[in-house]
Amino acid sequence: MKIKEEYNYVILSNEINRLLLAKFSEYPMIDSDMNYNELKMKLEFHTSKIVVFNNTFYNLRDEEQKEILDLLKRQNMHFILITSNIEEALLGDYIIVFDKKGIFLEGLKNEVLKEEKKLKKVGFGLPFVVDLSIQLNYYDIFKKVYFDMNELVSDLWN
Amino acid sequence: MELSSLNGRIIGVISDDFKEYDYQDKLVKDLITKKVDASFKMVKLDNSVLNEKFSDLPLGDKNKVILANQLHNQEIILVNFSKGLIKKDLDYFKSLFKKIANYGKKIILVEKRMDLFLNCVDRIYVINEDEIKYETIDIFDKTLGLYADYPKIVEFYFKGIDLGVRLDQYTELDELLKAIYRIKS
Repeated sequence: MKIKEEYNYVILSNEINRLLLAKFSEYPMIDSDMNYNELKMKLEFHTSKIVVFNNTFYNLRDEEQKEILDLLKRQNMHFILITSNIEEALLGDYIIVFDKKGIFLEGLKNEVLKEEKKLKKVGFGLPFVVDLSIQLNYYDIFKKVYFDMNELVSDLWN
Repeated sequence: MELSSLNGRIIGVISDDFKEYDYQDKLVKDLITKKVDASFKMVKLDNSVLNEKFSDLPLGDKNKVILANQLHNQEIILVNFSKGLIKKDLDYFKSLFKKIANYGKKIILVEKRMDLFLNCVDRIYVINEDEIKYETIDIFDKTLGLYADYPKIVEFYFKGIDLGVRLDQYTELDELLKAIYRIKS
């Protein structure tokens, strides 16, 4: 699979199996059984430019996820995050959605996450903040889609 | 900590103490021996996985096999069940858990995140180092946030509170939208 080094990727799939993982086998992979401190330590001593997270963020709180992403940025590293959790799609720049047949949808985050009907049809749904803001567009309350909860809340209530 | 001593019908547990089930290289057909067809239908698994090794299954299917394996027990304990499942499946399983609980069975969901608990569990416990640190029946309970992240709709409610907006505690997006629309118009 062709990966551009300037992007952070989120791979969405409801069938995270060996076949899918094999597509990224040229990069070092970190599995889902690490806690925050173990992961941080591992990344601090990592030498590769790209790291693959296999459901790794399931164990982390939102703040810890941000810390890990900041750490990667400081170390000039990029990631490929494989997950079935649509909320984690917000963490990347480029999203690839797999269904049983292969790649179902791909593109930059702001393009893919606007594909409300397609993502709901395959069962992923949308991240809460994206879903809420798209619905508020239908209600004519907003005229843009939000990817950040703080920004949405601030624009909505201030 | 004996999970069976916890109160409730569908119980949410926030904890790091419990290990996920791992049947390693066992074949699925050796794990599910009772009422295979009915169990698989209920957990949305295809019979084709019967001849596969547990370790070869996608994460979501592993959790479905673990559930199918326990379906006929009086008490069902699932650890990190939401890992590897997409939203549509999570919604399906929430309603399945309610149906199962109606037959008098107890379901205990040990999770690191609270998304599976929303509109599903009737009591939440925090268990660390073999001790109950906290318990509540309310997913909007402020103390819970010390132990795990809230579902996003609950987080949205608290961010509104921080700005002085007191909405009702909605757990469904449709109802929340109507409430926002009423305020904004």
